[in-house]
Amino acid sequence: MSQFSETEERTELRKAVRAFAQSWGQDYFTGKARAGEKTTDLWLALGKNGYLGVNIPEEYGGGGGGIGDVAAVCEELAAVGCPMLLMVVSPAICGSVISRFGTEEQKQRWLPGIADGTQTMAFAITEPDAGSNSHRITTTARRDGTDWILKGRKVYISGVDEASHVLVVARTEDHKTGSLKPCLFVVPTDAPGFEYQPIPMELVSPEQQFTVFIDDVRLPADALVGDEDAGLIQLFAGLNPERIMAASFATGIARLALEKATAYAKERSVFRDTPIGAHQAIAHPLAQAHIEIEMARLMTQKAAALQDAGDDMGAGEAANMAKYASAEAACNAVDRAVQTLGGNGVTQEYGVAALLVATRVMRIAPVSREMILNFVAMHSLGLPKSY
Amino acid sequence: MNIVVCVKYVPDATADRQFESDNTVDRVGVDGLLSELDEYAVEQALQLREKREGEDIEITALCVGPEKAVDAIRKALQMGADKGVHVVDDAIAGSDSVATSLVLAKAREKIGAEKKVDLVMTGMASTDASMSVIPAMLAERLELPQVTFASVVESQGEVFRVRRDGDTATEIVEGRLPMVLSVTDQTGEARYPSFKGIMAAKKKPLETWALSDIGVEADQVGLSASWTAVEGTEARPPRTQGEIVTDEDGSGATALVDFLASKKFI
Repeated sequence: MSQFSETEERTELRKAVRAFAQSWGQDYFTGKARAGEKTTDLWLALGKNGYLGVNIPEEYGGGGGGIGDVAAVCEELAAVGCPMLLMVVSPAICGSVISRFGTEEQKQRWLPGIADGTQTMAFAITEPDAGSNSHRITTTARRDGTDWILKGRKVYISGVDEASHVLVVARTEDHKTGSLKPCLFVVPTDAPGFEYQPIPMELVSPEQQFTVFIDDVRLPADALVGDEDAGLIQLFAGLNPERIMAASFATGIARLALEKATAYAKERSVFRDTPIGAHQAIAHPLAQAHIEIEMARLMTQKAAALQDAGDDMGAGEAANMAKYASAEAACNAVDRAVQTLGGNGVTQEYGVAALLVATRVMRIAPVSREMILNFVAMHSLGLPKSY
Repeated sequence: MNIVVCVKYVPDATADRQFESDNTVDRVGVDGLLSELDEYAVEQALQLREKREGEDIEITALCVGPEKAVDAIRKALQMGADKGVHVVDDAIAGSDSVATSLVLAKAREKIGAEKKVDLVMTGMASTDASMSVIPAMLAERLELPQVTFASVVESQGEVFRVRRDGDTATEIVEGRLPMVLSVTDQTGEARYPSFKGIMAAKKKPLETWALSDIGVEADQVGLSASWTAVEGTEARPPRTQGEIVTDEDGSGATALVDFLASKKFI
């Protein structure tokens, strides 16, 4: 490996997005979230500046960059307090899948809207009885003439209410008990038979989580993205970006927490005039958090580089590791930030406490810490499967 | 239309700004960037082009400054300017506004020799020196009319009409091309570089000129040739703790009034 730093353009992109996002800020974001409102105006502004669809091919209205670029956007937004959860889903997962496996018509139809933010596409994979076991997905699609009839139930689906469409992971009817043969369908959120209910969450986020009921939703033949028989490859085209984005989302929040903590530790003094940051009991945990964040960012950048180089399998391992490391780094950073700020760390004013749940979620979603450890144990270390 | 926008590379105002031992601004030890006030000029040039769709409008970002100052030009290119000209020469270091305006004017002449320049645009001031005199000096050197401190810019053909907001009155000033135009921070928020803008900027033409390229002698510029010099600098005194009035016996109000009166607030 000859280069450990990101390209000049990526660095410039980070700078531009950071400056842009600072003009919105954490108060805007949490204000919207607490008021039960959406951050649609920020979303559209991101689209207008070309930040949302940096990874979408230029001929479909995007920036022509890679997953590493859109991950950089995601991280910088989170780092100034505007984490955009739906960036993980709409441009990164759905945008990647359709860019790679969609037909020419599907690309023309979906990608420009995803790139400029005017059409948000949610992503639905998890199910009530399947959880982390995507082999047990029971949402099924059966043929009816040239149409598809889709039936099933999904849970913890982000931002369905803000989306015009949902990319639904289903399987074909013949393979109910066999190995996973995922098929991806674009489903309009206003289709007859498609319903969704919000799940009340203890999250300070403008984005809500939903249970989705898909009751014999009729879809035209071209709702199927990619090849019915392509299987896992197509799903990975979306899941690696998902993990890379989730990792960036987490390290961004972690940077925000650490920045708040260090700023506070430099100012706050209670014993004589020594700022509390001079005490190693405060300084060392923050230094550790910084190291963990930087390691997680490096692994995230590696995963993105592999993904953009077309190495799906290599990227799969790295993306899992990056997501694991980022979630751990983020949880630790926020926990230490709260400890540094003391009581202030739990107030709304200082904006740290809300990050506790936001980062804790990262240990669970989009794939749990335990499933990553299983993956690494089996695939990286060759240990026997336990489940 | 051919527009030259003058852009200055200044120390980041949010960073810890310092001076060199000769009282010039430390432009190396501090992170620099395109002066925020010049971003408005770039923005207005870009908006002009967008409003006058169909016209052939070329925008050149011109910067005088050390090697790192190329960042200011790059930002302007990322925002949408077409090409950049960077005048960099060790002899320029320490130049005051009179000397800087000479370099800018000569560079503008060289640009104009290739293709007639219709409009020279600047911000209202720099965020480091804050002199606000460069537009007037440039106009004088280039023998052009100047329309300065524009808060609203409208144009039709060769006629530019701007609003100039003063403390007590608002003027509407009209000028005809070619001219020098400076705009204020009231003209509207400058855009952020888009991803495409960032990617495209790298491929845009960027020329680097030395003093010899624009016909300026080394002894015409720099600290020694400058008409003005900074004699000394002093850091802003640290904030002192305010006076705390403790009210134990009901005398608090009187003490407050006495304090305000002593500072001539009442």
